[in-house]
Amino acid sequence: MPLACLMLQPVHPLLFALALALPIGVAAEDKDPPRLGIKGFGTLGLARSDDSDAGFVRDLSQPRGLTTHWSGKIDSVLGVQANYRFGERTEAVLQAVSRYRYDNGFGPEITWAFLRHDFSPEWSLRAGRIGTEFFMLSDSRLVGYANLTVRPPVEFYGPLVFSYFDGLDLAATTQLGSGLLRGKLFAGHAAERAPVAPGLSWNLQGSRMFGGHVDYLSGPWQVRLGHTAIRFSHEMPINEFAGIDVLGLAPQLAAQGTWSHYDSLGVVYEQGALQIQGMVNRIHNETDQYEDSWAGYLIGAYRLGNFTPYTGYSQTRSSPLSLPAEMPAAQAAVIRYALSYSHSDQRTIFIGTRWDFAQNLALKAQVDRTHGQPDSRFLFRETTSGWDGRMTVFSLALDFVF
Amino acid sequence: MRLQRCLLALALSLFATAARAELVVAVDTRLGITRLSREEVVNIFLGRYRKLPSGQAAMPIDQPTSSPLRKEFYRRLVGKDLSEINAYWARLIFSGKTSPPMQTENTEDVGPLIQAIPGGIGYLERSQLTPDLRVVLEMAP
Repeated sequence: MPLACLMLQPVHPLLFALALALPIGVAAEDKDPPRLGIKGFGTLGLARSDDSDAGFVRDLSQPRGLTTHWSGKIDSVLGVQANYRFGERTEAVLQAVSRYRYDNGFGPEITWAFLRHDFSPEWSLRAGRIGTEFFMLSDSRLVGYANLTVRPPVEFYGPLVFSYFDGLDLAATTQLGSGLLRGKLFAGHAAERAPVAPGLSWNLQGSRMFGGHVDYLSGPWQVRLGHTAIRFSHEMPINEFAGIDVLGLAPQLAAQGTWSHYDSLGVVYEQGALQIQGMVNRIHNETDQYEDSWAGYLIGAYRLGNFTPYTGYSQTRSSPLSLPAEMPAAQAAVIRYALSYSHSDQRTIFIGTRWDFAQNLALKAQVDRTHGQPDSRFLFRETTSGWDGRMTVFSLALDFVF
Repeated sequence: MRLQRCLLALALSLFATAARAELVVAVDTRLGITRLSREEVVNIFLGRYRKLPSGQAAMPIDQPTSSPLRKEFYRRLVGKDLSEINAYWARLIFSGKTSPPMQTENTEDVGPLIQAIPGGIGYLERSQLTPDLRVVLEMAP
């Protein structure tokens, strides 16, 4: 558009000359945005801890943790996404992600595969394979570039083994007061597996789930209240895990057919260079196999040029279970031992910085210091009898989008 | 090649003026909108709620990635760096929610696009305004 080039002021003489020299039509382009877009995201992460008595994982979808050797497995991820527009209001999205997963491999998975239709600025429907939103920000926790910290606080997001489900969600937005009120409802079936022990996983596929949340956004504030429930359609392989017939001895430990409920409240405050995030959640399991828990975290960050130093605190605690049924002491001990794996009682202080050193690239360094009880084992893998609940984790991450 | 040089020259001349640029948010006069609040412009450009007071869907138009106007616009609108805006969109794009504003390749396309697209809304320097465009918000430094 040489003409438009000329209209810019102040008109630089060189610009003027260049614009005149431009053949008509060279800059004229198709005004329709491209229908197909391919984008991607990824992280090259390296982390190690100072403790070989427990394996540190990002969340419980990972079967083995890292210890005192630098490892790239828990935080490294690569995702590719294709968006195809059928018109102004309809879009198809397909996303594949490769990351360290339940079967100890990096096999790529289709994480999203859905159609989105915006009926109006108020109403939007998605159907297909969609990201789960148990908690605020949980559907983008693999996208390091979108997040401040190297990984989402483990005490809070660690129990989440669900990334996506097959179903639909309906979102509505309206103005309320000076802000926006947004609501979403979703329903469908889980489509993943969760690791239990090396070579053993829990099939969550087909587990019915539904939920919703309400957001209020006003100025620098965003507040979200959410609830999700899931009903397990397959039994957790606790018999195989414990090596005895646990469910025969204590049928109340069955997970199949029981519901788990996830409640959360999140608050985000972003004003210029300042960012504060705080959330609390409560997980209630109908089955006596997993302890109920609550967790919370708070992160504060302040951007200074290209650096955004941050610090945070996260904590979780679960309520110990009692074994009511009378049974032979030896077997009760085995069961108690198997159940003790779902106990958590720990807090972590972390500090780090994000450095946006180039467009679409960020480098992060973080140190996490966890203080927990020796019986706080739920969020770790392969804990030994020497585990004292204390661990320091050092992390580096290079996040990118393309 | 020539186009690239033109763009480079444009970028250079804009860079010098961006900090003191008179940035305005504009729509087509035919939309009949006279004023938008800062909050409404935030909602439209950050993809939270893309609806104009007339009831029509809003279609935001971004300046080119490298444009100093773009950097200046988001700094004045929400006090954020472009890297933060990119991170914000990475979250929404890769969770399959809203799409970012349509992005032009050349800054001089913004005005014509505002008029060509129903519900089009863009930001530009006051000097780029044409009589068919109506300023709905002035972005003071």
